[in-house]
Amino acid sequence: MTMGDFSKTFREQTVNYALTPRDAIGITSLYMQTNNYSQSQLNNELTYTRLVKRWNMPEAQANIWFIGGVGETTGNYFNGTKATVSPGVQADYETTRLYASANARIYVADGITNNVVSARTGFSFYEANYDETQPWLIVEARRMSMVSTQYEVTPMLRLIHNRFFVEAGANLHGQPRLNFMYVY
Amino acid sequence: MKKILIAILLALTLSPVFAATSMKVTVNGMVCSFCAQGIEKNLLKLDETKAVMVDLKNKVVIVEAKEGKTLNEKLIKEEITDSGYDVVSIQSIPQTVAQFKEQMKGKK
Repeated sequence: MTMGDFSKTFREQTVNYALTPRDAIGITSLYMQTNNYSQSQLNNELTYTRLVKRWNMPEAQANIWFIGGVGETTGNYFNGTKATVSPGVQADYETTRLYASANARIYVADGITNNVVSARTGFSFYEANYDETQPWLIVEARRMSMVSTQYEVTPMLRLIHNRFFVEAGANLHGQPRLNFMYVY
Repeated sequence: MKKILIAILLALTLSPVFAATSMKVTVNGMVCSFCAQGIEKNLLKLDETKAVMVDLKNKVVIVEAKEGKTLNEKLIKEEITDSGYDVVSIQSIPQTVAQFKEQMKGKK
């Protein structure tokens, strides 16, 4: 699977390989910068994703995930390259018409600790079958401590079709946002 | 003799033995095509599988067997469970995937 999340202040790209139905390893590159470009940081990591728990219901699915990374970080507000670890958790709940998720991740290096927390909710305009494209309206509130103390709110149009997942929108400051996922 | 032959021919052409056999699996947790595409991918890898249909609205997966092949119920259940979903029930049906799709269209 390949994934990307792009905005002015946060750009993350990941390639993942599923070892088992519950475990995946990958490589992630994450770049964060403040709005005025004064501060920036680049993390390159090996990542591990684990499906901790799943509930499969007749009309819904809920999940708890663990995501962890180990790698190195560089930035313009500290010297040199530092080793970094980044544990995180995600919980999500969805039906064919409703979606909600919450995500928290901490990035720790010597003398530097940053976190990214987000919550999403949304609905699908209509129920779609397996071979149809399904449009959703998703709203995300996200806070990246390295970027700002404020929450960034971004409404997005999500389109899902089989192996393709795309989200596009703009935050309340008009800054564009693009996410995608593709499963091989 | 002729009547017997005609009767046998009619019985053979109308017999479900000559219709492709499929399995209809009721599955919990299928809520979107992006999530459920792994089910289709894994079931298509099985030697006996000719076609797979995932029906999100009715929460079922239809697996059609290749001509002359028999579907393995246990293997199908394992593949769906390994894809991350729960199998509620599994039953043989005489329709092919194409026939099942037509049947569903007719119900709309």
